[in-house]
Amino acid sequence: MEEWFISITAAILIFVGLAIVFGLLLGYAAVRFKVEGNPMAEQIDKILPQTQCGQCTFPGCKPYAEALAKGETEVNLCIPGGTDTMILISEITGLEPKEVEVTEAEHKPKETAFIDEDVCIGCVLCIKACPVDAILGATKLMHTVIQSECTGCDKCAPVCPVDCIDMRAPPVSLENWQWPEPTIKSEGEAK
Amino acid sequence: MSSIFMQAFVRPLSIIYPMAKRWLHRFHGGVFPKTYKSLSLKHPIRSTVIPEKLILPVKQLTGQKIAWHVAIGDTVQKNQCLISAAKENKKGIIVPIHAPTSGVIHAIEMMSLPHPSGLSALSIIIKPDLKDTALNNVLNVSGKVPETPQQLKDILLNAGIVGLGGAGFPTFAKLPNQTGIINTLIINGAECEPFITCDNLLMQTQAQDILNGAIMVAQTLGIPSIICGIEENKPTAIQAMNAAAATLLKNTPNLSITIQTLPAVYPMGGEKQLIKELTGIEVPAKTHAIDSGLLVFNVATFAAIFKAITLGEPLTQRLVTIAGLGLKHSYNTNALIGTPFLTLAKAGEPIHPIQTPLIMGGPMMGFQVADNQVPVIKTTNCILVQPPEPATETIVMPCIRCGECMDACPVNLLPQQMFWHSQAHEFEKVEKLNVFDCIECGCCSYVCPSHIPLVQFYRHAKSEIKHIHAEQQAAELAKQRHEFRLARIEREKQEREARIKAKKAAVKKQASEAEKPSGASSAKSAAIKAAAARAAAKRATQQGSEQNVNEISPPPLSARQKAIETAKKQAAAKVGSKVAPNKDPRTSAKQAAKKAAAMAAAKRRTQTNHENNSDATSKIDSKQAMNDKRKQAMETAKKRAAERKARKAEQEPPK
Repeated sequence: MEEWFISITAAILIFVGLAIVFGLLLGYAAVRFKVEGNPMAEQIDKILPQTQCGQCTFPGCKPYAEALAKGETEVNLCIPGGTDTMILISEITGLEPKEVEVTEAEHKPKETAFIDEDVCIGCVLCIKACPVDAILGATKLMHTVIQSECTGCDKCAPVCPVDCIDMRAPPVSLENWQWPEPTIKSEGEAK
Repeated sequence: MSSIFMQAFVRPLSIIYPMAKRWLHRFHGGVFPKTYKSLSLKHPIRSTVIPEKLILPVKQLTGQKIAWHVAIGDTVQKNQCLISAAKENKKGIIVPIHAPTSGVIHAIEMMSLPHPSGLSALSIIIKPDLKDTALNNVLNVSGKVPETPQQLKDILLNAGIVGLGGAGFPTFAKLPNQTGIINTLIINGAECEPFITCDNLLMQTQAQDILNGAIMVAQTLGIPSIICGIEENKPTAIQAMNAAAATLLKNTPNLSITIQTLPAVYPMGGEKQLIKELTGIEVPAKTHAIDSGLLVFNVATFAAIFKAITLGEPLTQRLVTIAGLGLKHSYNTNALIGTPFLTLAKAGEPIHPIQTPLIMGGPMMGFQVADNQVPVIKTTNCILVQPPEPATETIVMPCIRCGECMDACPVNLLPQQMFWHSQAHEFEKVEKLNVFDCIECGCCSYVCPSHIPLVQFYRHAKSEIKHIHAEQQAAELAKQRHEFRLARIEREKQEREARIKAKKAAVKKQASEAEKPSGASSAKSAAIKAAAARAAAKRATQQGSEQNVNEISPPPLSARQKAIETAKKQAAAKVGSKVAPNKDPRTSAKQAAKKAAAMAAAKRRTQTNHENNSDATSKIDSKQAMNDKRKQAMETAKKRAAERKARKAEQEPPK
């Protein structure tokens, strides 16, 4: 009678003790190794093209990444990123890949904004619209785009009241010229 | 040595197994194409021909300014400096251009470049006057060996010398700034590309100049030993160099000069391959020969260095091979820089009229030029004139994974793997396979039984990878700038709110102060009292007059008198208001509060402005500092945001 009682209490005590120890360990780990923010959002943010164009209907790349991490939105909204980015996003989030709606923008060379400085009236509307502060200028003074900072998001062109902003691809120079991809005519295709 | 035994063993074996010849050299792989060198070697060097016009392309790089020393219509002498790097450039990678002959600057316009892209560049076009009057010693040299590396570098820069082997990197930029860093100077006399013989002929004719140039560089930089590597298929050149070395060694006893015979294999002339062959050192990936204590120049570069140091003569001409199966007479000539390709090709009496694009460089690494009128530039070692290709196109077959390319690669890469990934646009994987170590020698394409243009794939992959990296950098920058902008907008909003809050607080304070009368405002209150008394007196007199009117009823006042009366009253009222300006204590308090708030706001503004200014000045300091600042700002913004969140959380406890 007593032996049985002792063995049962011993077993219970051991398990309760273990539960307490592991509970404390887990509790400590939760505090000590707490991850700030959502790591998935940062991962997605890294692969987004950072044009901050807002074509995804979110105010920038990061908000879209955060929404994606929470699973609140679709994977196919990043138009500048194209299909490649969509596939990467779906790989990270585990969401179903979907067709990117506008595909004509894909593989288009990066364009940057140019301000026709003779037409510009200095209204500062484009400066306010630029997500990366790439436009220089002041009220009633000519504006210009810092080409190296422009992401080509096309946010400034629609707000211009005199329509003096257009998007241009950079001219091909010796510095940005690329070797063309060789085209292979295999025997089957040749026939 | 064992090499003699090896050769005796390999020679007969190579009949049944040709690749046994690879055992004779120390680097991996390599191929043995038919050389065709005798075509142009049969003839002596032809004398320089001055063409109708010389085209000198001006290399332009973003962020690098050029100082123009001539304008259209100017008459120039041979060796006159036409352009140089502007002084404000921090590091000059633009080398000056000198006039190759005397003449008139005919135009400065866009001309097609000898470049695979076929792009145009701004070029100076000289119409020679055929007098060839020259300026002597334009570099102002004493003819003695330079004492410091910096002096040598200045001479080489002013002479416009670039690597004449093919890469065209400015020679001065390759030299170290201190003596004693380099322990071996290597003279690259391995001319491995088929058809090309210009270095071979240069060694035969100017062996003294080449070695003298090398000795001068070695003496200036404190290099103890010079090794010259020449392939065994140039016996005359080896003989000439040996003879020159023997005479020169007598004058320089503390210097060792070795002329080493190398097995003939392509690409022996590659810098890293030649180093491996001569010294056994394998220059690690992503480092240069200089990091291993070695300095390698082509024979033509040494000859140009010698002329610059002793005669003060800039680089205005070079030995060029004009060869190919499409010419009756392949030849070498001392071509002026800027001579159009077609002029030189026609002098070789083409068998067929030249309608196909000419090739700059040899058949292995050369490229077709877009326009046959492109000029000879400093790196042009060969103009290849091939007969028109047969109409039947070589059909590219699928890769059969035979591994021939892997055995042939002199850099130990995996060409077939890189090909697969390049074809599939998996550029990350191509990069991991070290595509950037590829020297684009073309050995893999040469041995490929399926005729796949492998090198084209690697070139394309390289440009794509560079493009991807540039885009990633741009994205990172855009992200930083966007976040900085958000932080700035947030900060401005907070500041505005704080200003409004401060204003409100100031108003409250002022109002509460105005309610309590204090010693300072006693004068004011006295004035108010006096005004009140005066007003009472006026009222009394008015009442009195009214009474008078009622009692006596004097004759009615004329309009003029009335006007005088009202004017007087107004004046009195004005005086009263001046004496007692603060009739309404509340309005005065409001004004004072406004003023105080405005002052506070202005102070704050100036403070923030000051901060901004200091920010701006430090931004100019350096980009690194700017990034740090940006990061700091970001950090603080992030902290602030976190604090704000915490505060919010406190204020609104979760339900």
